Amino acid sequence: MRKALMAASLFVLFAALLYVAVNPSDFGAELGDHLVFGEPKYTDMDSYFIHNGQNQTAANNIVTSIVFDYRGFDTLGEASVLFTAVLGVGVVLRMLRGDENDE
Amino acid sequence: MMSKIVRTQANILYPLILIFGFYIVAHGHLTPGGGFQGGAVIATGVALVAISFGYGKIKKWIKKTNLTAAEAVGLLSFIIAAFTGIGTSFFCNWLANSGLIFGDTVPYGPNPGYLNTAGLLPIMNLAVGIEVLGGLGVVVMYMLSAAKASEVK
Amino acid sequence: MIFEELIQVLLLVGLIITAYLSIRFKDLLACAVSLGAFSFLLSLEFYMLQAPDVAIAEAGIGAGLTTAIFILAIKATHRWEVET
Repeated sequence: MRKALMAASLFVLFAALLYVAVNPSDFGAELGDHLVFGEPKYTDMDSYFIHNGQNQTAANNIVTSIVFDYRGFDTLGEASVLFTAVLGVGVVLRMLRGDENDE
Repeated sequence: MMSKIVRTQANILYPLILIFGFYIVAHGHLTPGGGFQGGAVIATGVALVAISFGYGKIKKWIKKTNLTAAEAVGLLSFIIAAFTGIGTSFFCNWLANSGLIFGDTVPYGPNPGYLNTAGLLPIMNLAVGIEVLGGLGVVVMYMLSAAKASEVK
Repeated sequence: MIFEELIQVLLLVGLIITAYLSIRFKDLLACAVSLGAFSFLLSLEFYMLQAPDVAIAEAGIGAGLTTAIFILAIKATHRWEVET
């Protein structure tokens, strides 16, 4: 029973993904008609980055200028998440230390 | 400690991996890659040396305290480099197009790429690279020490 | 380009094969190596999709560090999967 249910749900998911992949719809365009408060119909941040990124940050790599300059808080959060994860690994594995006592 | 074949190829291969990682970190504002990817590649070199030579031999060469200090220094210098532009806003790139270090301008459009550009971005790349190198390296070293400790019992 | 599509189809078939092998093996060391091959093929697929940043990160972390950590964990515990 559970295996049949699992296979059926997997088949439905596969069919939905295949349907989306075969005929792509203009989903965002229809959504853009109902945006509020004078927002543009299509988001134009990508053309803004492509046209102004080289002048404003003087970097050739637009991805780096987005990651470290325009979206700097994302990188700050990622770095602190990595720091916290390493801190957790150290706290868990420090008690497993064997015969070494060099620090 | 692995076999002699593995140790020999690790001896040959690890300078190339370290040079490739530092290249990715230093050219983060010109070519694909950046601090996180370059730090991960350098940590892969550290893991290669550590696994092929064993923990008993490697703990004299690579200290865990140094790696932890590198991680903390990297994160702190990243935050300090972000704080230097606090006159305008947090993460303000005040060094770009200023004529100081890393302050040259680039022409619009495709160009060969100049290393002395992009302001604060190479400094932040270096800081994040040091942080990721220390963090992922100390994870591998802790796993090595825990594996050795549970091997003894 | 028929050539790029052929390479992408080969990479996706290889991804499915390595993912299936990594859950069917009883030898956990073979499972770890199969996951490393999975990450390597995934990084090649990212490169074919023109995302070289993610490809470098996947090749460094997925194929290098994760395999090393899995092998260390297997070395500290048991190598063969036991039936419960």
